[in-house]
Amino acid sequence: MTDLTGQLTQQIQHAYATKTPLKIQAGNTKAYLGRDTSGEVINMANHTGVISYSATELVVRARAGTKISHLNELLAEQQQRLPFEPPSFSGEATIGGTVAANQSGPSRPWFGGVKDSLLGLGLINGYGESMQFGGQVMKNVAGFDVTRLQCGAMGSLGLITDISIKVLPEFKAGHTLIFEMTAEVALEAMLQWANLSLPITGMSHFQGQLYLRLQGGESGVASASEFLGGEHLEPKIADVFWQAAREGRLLQPQDNQTLWRWSGPSDTPINTVSNTSLINWAGSERWVLESNSNSPAGGLTQHLGGDRMAEVYGAVNASQQALQQRIKYAFDPHGIFNAGRLYSWM
Amino acid sequence: MHTLPSTSNDLENQAPEGGSVALLVSAFQQLLPASSVIMSTEGQRPFECDGLAVYQQLPLITVIPETVGQVQAILRLCHLHHVPLVPRGAGTGLCAGAMPHAEGVLLVMTKLNKILHINQNTATATVQPGVRNLALTDAAKPFGLYYAPDPSSQIACTIGGNVAENSGGVHCLKYGLTVNNLLQVTLVTIEGELMTLGGEGLDEPGMDLLSLFVGSEGLLGVVVEAKVKLLPRAPRVQVLLAAYDSVTAAGDSVAALIGQGIIPAGLEMMDHLAISAAEDFVKVGYPTDAQALLICELDGTDAEVEEQLAVVSECFKQHGAQHIRIAKDAAEADALWQGRKAAFPAVGRISPDYYCMDGTIPRGKVGYVLTRISELSETYGLRVANVFHAGDGNLHPLILFDAGIDGELERAELLGGDILTLCVDVGGTITGEHGVGLEKMPQMPYQFGDAELAQFRRLKAAFDSEDLLNPGKGIPTLKYCQEYRSLQHG
Repeated sequence: MTDLTGQLTQQIQHAYATKTPLKIQAGNTKAYLGRDTSGEVINMANHTGVISYSATELVVRARAGTKISHLNELLAEQQQRLPFEPPSFSGEATIGGTVAANQSGPSRPWFGGVKDSLLGLGLINGYGESMQFGGQVMKNVAGFDVTRLQCGAMGSLGLITDISIKVLPEFKAGHTLIFEMTAEVALEAMLQWANLSLPITGMSHFQGQLYLRLQGGESGVASASEFLGGEHLEPKIADVFWQAAREGRLLQPQDNQTLWRWSGPSDTPINTVSNTSLINWAGSERWVLESNSNSPAGGLTQHLGGDRMAEVYGAVNASQQALQQRIKYAFDPHGIFNAGRLYSWM
Repeated sequence: MHTLPSTSNDLENQAPEGGSVALLVSAFQQLLPASSVIMSTEGQRPFECDGLAVYQQLPLITVIPETVGQVQAILRLCHLHHVPLVPRGAGTGLCAGAMPHAEGVLLVMTKLNKILHINQNTATATVQPGVRNLALTDAAKPFGLYYAPDPSSQIACTIGGNVAENSGGVHCLKYGLTVNNLLQVTLVTIEGELMTLGGEGLDEPGMDLLSLFVGSEGLLGVVVEAKVKLLPRAPRVQVLLAAYDSVTAAGDSVAALIGQGIIPAGLEMMDHLAISAAEDFVKVGYPTDAQALLICELDGTDAEVEEQLAVVSECFKQHGAQHIRIAKDAAEADALWQGRKAAFPAVGRISPDYYCMDGTIPRGKVGYVLTRISELSETYGLRVANVFHAGDGNLHPLILFDAGIDGELERAELLGGDILTLCVDVGGTITGEHGVGLEKMPQMPYQFGDAELAQFRRLKAAFDSEDLLNPGKGIPTLKYCQEYRSLQHG
């Protein structure tokens, strides 16, 4: 429980004055994401602690360096959970990094991503000004949504100091069903089932099997399970599977391989994304392992491995690039935060 | 007619010169049919305000395009001639966000009203901005789907306006606001360029520009297409009503229910004055002796709803509900909702005018805030009826007044301002779903500090460096804030 906001603000003000590049880091579990960046490390690992948590308000507010694992434990005491089910990476991932990298888990299509649970945050901009956006209430439309803008910005717009999140009640029951299916048949099934108002919180296809997770009230899960059929997966094995899915560890690239991510409409035919090894998010996210010398065609982003000085998030058209550069300038005129982490030009 | 003292200061600098107005008009007339370029006072009168009619202003020119190409050309022309532009959908907004600019163009988007595609597989719809909210849900019905955000104005309001205001509705607690139900937006920039934000998938790499754009009140660009999420219709929807002899008991029930792990699809509260007005109007059998009513909607499979219904009924009883009515069928459920949905017009029947506020507070402060509102109501000598989204703490106090009585509108506005600052004081916000527009500009410097407001202005400039898009709304200028602060300390 330490509030380092004052010290962090000073470090940033100094960096602004001296135009020193800064590299934001806490648990350092996301170094593999984005492009390589260098700079003086601004260490968030000790800026920790839950500022407030009220179970009946469904809101938790924590400093950015607070670990996801800590939040999960705290919420579990009140039978609550983080709706976007972020990876905790052996307990080292922090809430600040999770928001900046926009990482959510298998329940994404049903319970939303990080932005859908994000209510507010504190941000120190590139001038060294400490600001607060959004708040701790469920609905807030005053001012531009600077809060959600940070999701996926990879720290390029400022240093997130604290985060307020909407939480949800923990599920009362749940289990995982598996179905032996080819990817084509599994995709058909996913599209059909996703639209049936069933308590589904995960649908992935991996190595010839469709994994389907049901979570909700006792009777809702039981009746859905009866309706869907399939085989019950041993809970311990299911937990291992969903944790690996959440942390992106189902596919591990070798030294000479790159893991690519595709994101698009869930009804896109399987063969549109060649060499898919894993279908996630009910069909709207697909993963492809390729040797480094082979770049998949069109629209995929370079998730893990390969050349981290390349444009790993792909090309952006000229007007979007110019807009994003102006937005970057609006927050960070000297370009001190995580230079080049998102794109070479930012 | 009503204008704030200093918001127009910066607008005057942008007044187009006579010559460029003539050029602009002639260019519009070449671009659009004669009936779609309106300059006459009587022709523009229907557009002089949005749903907050105390703020009125005739625009210089009103244009009503039918194609995306025309929208682009209109923005290009405004940019070229440095003329302010205010976009407008159905004009149902409640913050004067679509109030025209005296020296500017009003861009009416209602003719771009086609549902371009509904994809049953992905449960998504691609629509033009002028599509009405309810028309989309109606069109999705044959596919077993619906569009979740359902503001009270859903029969008339448009998706473009919903995106601009980040509209909510009675089902926000479970299904979110517009921002949570949107995948992609195509907008026209002030330079007249098309730009697409978001994507076809769920999470695109990079900063979340789509979320930044949602709720930006027409200050950053004009929506010309939106791809939205649709949800499967729940097999069963169950509505129940609970009556209480105090608002505090009703508020405690809400907290207890959420504490027990139930998130209803809708959870609304009405106070005594609102209950009486609604019952007089729609006669659905609300208990008029109750001090507070909760209307709770549960949805899901039969099994899920049965399980939740038992918990909810028990919880409400334990926390002081004097009477619980469980709707037996869809018709009764509709009737129970009808009173809540008609609450605004119902209050309109018992007072010549009413002014609707939109603060959001932490749920736990409901009792305190309602007590304070009641004290303020006495101080100002104006009645206040309270209708609110209890599940998410979004209050809609309705201030009753008579604009025909000298000074009463001003008193209503002062009372409204006090209610909003009260919301900020208890850790809430000045607007949960209606937006800032022109109306809540005075409270922006109360909710935000100078650094945040300056950051907003720099963001605005990144999209619109000349401040041509809906100027004078949403984000106060530095000068405005300085005046506000000196008044506060003066």
